[in-house]
Amino acid sequence: MGTVIAVISGKGGVGKTTTTANLGLGIAMNGKKCAIVDFDIGQRNLDMIIGLENRVVYDMVQVMEGECSIPQAIIKSKVNDNLHFLAASQTKDKSVLCSSKVEKLVKELKDSYDVVILDSPAGIESGFEHTIEFADEAIIVVNPEVSSIRDADRAIGILDAKSQKVKQGQEVNKYLIINRINPSMVQSGEMLKSDDILDILNIKLIGKIPEDKSIIDASNQGRPVVLDKKSEAGAAYLRVSKRLCGENVAFVDVESNQASGMLKKLAGIFR
Amino acid sequence: MFGWLGKKKSASIAKDRLKVAIMTDRATNSEYPFMDELKAEIIEVVKKYIGVKEVAIKKEVDGELEALSIDIQLDK
Repeated sequence: MGTVIAVISGKGGVGKTTTTANLGLGIAMNGKKCAIVDFDIGQRNLDMIIGLENRVVYDMVQVMEGECSIPQAIIKSKVNDNLHFLAASQTKDKSVLCSSKVEKLVKELKDSYDVVILDSPAGIESGFEHTIEFADEAIIVVNPEVSSIRDADRAIGILDAKSQKVKQGQEVNKYLIINRINPSMVQSGEMLKSDDILDILNIKLIGKIPEDKSIIDASNQGRPVVLDKKSEAGAAYLRVSKRLCGENVAFVDVESNQASGMLKKLAGIFR
Repeated sequence: MFGWLGKKKSASIAKDRLKVAIMTDRATNSEYPFMDELKAEIIEVVKKYIGVKEVAIKKEVDGELEALSIDIQLDK
């Protein structure tokens, strides 16, 4: 039986879909069978990010309504056989979701995959609540910016109130990903440090992703950045994926930018 | 944290502001844990007469005055 991970945020546009795509592929690259499901009904996007928008025939709402089976709706990734994808419906809206149908879908996926990642819609309305209801773990994505952090705290509060696991007296593991870190701004004191964000939100850190032009380049091509090992964001996503697979990977200080990293190395030589 | 001109850096201002805002948010949410049920019931009542898309309830404090403001977004 697999693990279900919900990727959530309070505010929109912080990089949930990019995170889902890259962690899904990263986990698949680590040899685990992984399904990624787009729960953002009406605003389908995950298909574009992983380059499968032309292959979508059936969506998850059709699976839930019994119009087709999961294997019929599942689309295999072109770059990794371990990664499978289930699209959101583009024509319906979030109100079509209901607990019992979501539960059935999630349970079926859990039986056939090692990891199931649910890409939650932004905000804290019904679509979000259904994504977290049956999740074993949650990844909260924030940007180092006040509105994203404040909204994340609210989302965490709702997660703790609505999760089935919490209602049964168990704990939902919560992990934080700080996305779009600009090292030089952190250095100059114009951007919140990871430690400050952790101090405020008080959850476990699982990844720091630097701001990286390669992300846009990757999404232009529908090839998640985790495939580009030379890109900093890609390498960072791969580290998070390994951590999720149970590997103990040391944290890289992405907040000290390359220039200062070079200086440190030079200073090290003369020390 | 102070810069060399003695001016407070914006990241440290952000941290202070966030701490206060989140503390207030958490207090409001634990003060009214019935907020979600209240929302659901309002939707049910209004729905009898007109389509509802969303209901948002906020606590507003203005000096001595405390109020719940309820925003009902209609479904077009």
